[in-house]
Formats: sequence, structure tokens, C-alpha cells
Amino acid sequence: MSSPAERETIVVIDDDYAMRLSCRKILEKSGFNVETFEDGVQGLEGVARLKPGLVVVDLKMPGMSGLEVIGRVHAIDPDIILVVITGYATIDTAVEAMKTGAYDFLPKPFAPDELRLIVNRGFERRRLVLEGRQYEVERALLKRRFITFVSHQLQTPLVAVHQYLDVLKHLGDHPDVAEKREEWIHRCLQRIEAMQVMVKEWLELSAVESEGFARSRDRVDLKVVIADIFAAYQPHAEAAQVSLESDLPDGCSVAGDRHCVAVLFDNLIANAVKYNRPGGKVTVGAEIQSGEVRISVADTGIGIPEKYIPFLFDEFFRVRDEATRNTSGSGLGLAICRKVTAEMGGQITVESKVEEGSVFRVSLPAWRQKESNAA
Amino acid sequence: MSVVPKVLIVDDDQDFRASVRALLESHGYRVLEAESGHEGLRKVADDTPDVILLDIMMESSVEGYGITHSLRYRDEFAAYRGIPIIMVSSIEKSPDDSYAMSPEVEMIRPDAYLTKPLDIDKFLKLLREVTSSAHV
Repeated sequence: MSSPAERETIVVIDDDYAMRLSCRKILEKSGFNVETFEDGVQGLEGVARLKPGLVVVDLKMPGMSGLEVIGRVHAIDPDIILVVITGYATIDTAVEAMKTGAYDFLPKPFAPDELRLIVNRGFERRRLVLEGRQYEVERALLKRRFITFVSHQLQTPLVAVHQYLDVLKHLGDHPDVAEKREEWIHRCLQRIEAMQVMVKEWLELSAVESEGFARSRDRVDLKVVIADIFAAYQPHAEAAQVSLESDLPDGCSVAGDRHCVAVLFDNLIANAVKYNRPGGKVTVGAEIQSGEVRISVADTGIGIPEKYIPFLFDEFFRVRDEATRNTSGSGLGLAICRKVTAEMGGQITVESKVEEGSVFRVSLPAWRQKESNAA
Repeated sequence: MSVVPKVLIVDDDQDFRASVRALLESHGYRVLEAESGHEGLRKVADDTPDVILLDIMMESSVEGYGITHSLRYRDEFAAYRGIPIIMVSSIEKSPDDSYAMSPEVEMIRPDAYLTKPLDIDKFLKLLREVTSSAHV
């Protein structure tokens, strides 16, 4: 039994005393909190005060008509559900009431169960509307947060570069700045490159989110993809003293979008190099099991503290601690990985140990010969 | 003025701090840096600056407001209550738009407000005014 505070309130407006009394009895028995009023003016005052979820109103009343009451109730709160009781059950009056915004109508005389049924349906409708509205609000908030975040993420490096150039211009040939000029130009270029990466990733993310992308099912040979990525990262890896190794079985092909697969492993391998340590290695392995290719990208790097794991694939999330303070990133790389993997019908997970390294595991649908026949 | 005025830059962007430091040192100021609000408060206590240049947004939160509040109202910082605070932000387009300058938030109102990137002439002029009045 719910407490009175949680009970839904219903306002009944009807000039007929017997009708008010029976509505109250029927609905109170169903656990509702019921207040009744004998005319439109008092009824509206009650609606404004009690903020009911549902109003039952008689269409035919002396003074203010039921139709007028409907409009005024909705002016108070458009989410209040209105159920109309009508003495002459003609289609015309009912339709007019519905046009004015009533949820449903009930012709007199009616059985208690008919009233209960219609009232319960009305509350169900109200709940759906309110939940939908809540969802809309959350979506809008999320979007606004995203825009604020992106603008801050771009604003910060733009300001840094702008300020460097302003100060360089202001100081001119001042001896203090001579030695700094080169370093500052280098820093400006680094910040600009980071912005370019961020914009590129941001666009990739929205491309994945937009419809029709990542839907193609090509035969993508992982050996080729990984070899291409290794070739691209070889100079980085050498500079960081990290070795790149792969152990992929023959015929290791997935069914997916070629570009998405490349983006996915590009991100994972870039991270595995970036968050590694001198003398460390990156190992890419795979096995084919029950129609799936399970690929692992393992590093021997700094690892990820357990408390950050749940947020790791969130947009803009970055681990910020001593171990990562000298690395840069947009916080979008793993969000993109999760999105493209899901788009291709796969899964991505991570296991990690601080100061030992991380293993990202991706499962993707394996390429089957019959798909090529069907195509 | 016999002592070289000290400016504390509290900002989480190391490049912004580097450029402003060089600018200020070339104009004869001493510069202290802090990359977080927490470190800023510690620097204030360690090596009291004559003026604080404080970024509102650090690590995606409005940390600057919290620091201002601490400096103005917390008992531990009573000795530093008079240090002028110049708040900076790249988010609000002008001081008029700034939450910090709105009448409702008197408690965290800075002494001055500048937008980033700093207009160098305006910034240097403001610093001269602020540090000279502080030393009178």
C-alpha cells in the first residue's frame, strides 16, 4: 500500500452530486486521492492548488462548460490528462472534446471498471509523456555539455598560441625572447597539431554517429591492416624505444567497414605506443572462435588505475595523473573505438594493471565465404 | 617602489603561463606560477605575491571562484585578504557577460576581469595600477 504522499491525485468536476460521489468511491477504491468540485470555476481553482495528474470533467454543466474547462486546465499544466464524461454520447460532442485536448471520453452511464480502465490508461499515458520529456531534457543537456566541452578544448590551445604570438610581437627583439623564440614556435606547432587531431577525431565520431556509416561488410584482412598501421607507427615506436610485434593466424579476416577497422586499430596501437615505456613492446594477437575474430592489443606500459576503467570509453574522458601529465590527447580516441566496434556488431573490453600494462580485446564478426557468394 | 612586484599566475595551461611569464619578466616583474588552484593557495602562503592572475576555468571546473572565495573568506588566509585578484577567462566574451562580475556574486568578485588572450597593453596598464595602489 502506497503512502498518501505518493498517491496520484484526481480532480472530478461535475454538477451532479451522485456522479461526484460515485466517481470518488470508485477511484478511491483504486488507491487514488480524489477531490471533487461542483462547477468549472471551483474546479479550476482546485486544479491550480492540487496539481492533479488527471481531471475528470462533465461536458454539460451550468456556467462554465466542460470544453472551456479543458482549455483552462491545459493552460495551468499541459501535461494533465483530461477524461470527459458526457451525458449524450454522441460522436460530435466527444470529437469536439478530443479536439480541445481531452484524452478520452466516457459516456454516461458507465460501469466502475470502465472508469478505472480509462483512468489507469490516462496515467500510463501521462507517465510516458513525462518520461519522454525527461529524456529530451537529458539529451539537450548532454548536447550542451558536449558543445561547451569542445569549445573549451579548442579555446584553450587557441588562447595559448595566440598569447605566444602576441608576446613575441610585443617583445620584438628583446633579448629575453631571443632564446625562447624557437621553443615557442615549436610549442605553437604542437598545440595546433593537437587541435587538428581533435577536430579530425571529432568529425570521425560524428560520422560514425550519423546513419549509414560503418554499415558496409567488406572482407578486411587484419594482417594487411595491422602491417599498414605498424609501418606508420614504426618511427614513433623507435623514438619511444617500443617494439611492435604481431602474431596473427592465416585467413584472419573480419566482416566490417575497411575504414572503421583501420580507425579502430590505429587508435588502439597509437595508445599502446604512447602509454608505453622505453624498452617496452606492443603485441597484437588474434584467434578465430565460433564465427568471431578476437583480437588483442597488449602493451607493457603504465596501465590504467581500476577506478578509471568504467569511464575509459566515454567521450572526452582522459586519465589525469602523474603518469599521464606529459601526454596529450583529445579524449575521443577510445570513444571512437567503442562506437565503430559496436557499429560493426562487435565488442571491446579492457584489462589493465598499473605499471604493468593494458590489454584491449576486440571481437568482430569473422568473414565467411558465403557472404562473398551472397554479395 | 623599492621592491620588485611579484605576480602569481594560476593557470592550468603551461604554455599560457610561459608566455605571460616572459612578458612580465621583460617588464621587470617577478613571476610565480601555479598550475592548479590548490597549488596557487600554497604559493600564496609560501611566497606572498602582490597580485594574482587567476584563471576561472581549470580542469573543466570553475576552480577560480573557489580560490577567490578561500582567499577572501577563509580564516587561514586572513593575512592575504588584500591581495588584488585579476580573473581571466577565455569562455566569457566580455567582463559584462561574466558571472564573476554579476551583482549577485559579490563574495567572489575579483578586483579586475580580463579575457584571454590578454590584451597586452591593457594588461600591463592594469598591473601597474594594481601594484602601485597595493604598495602605497
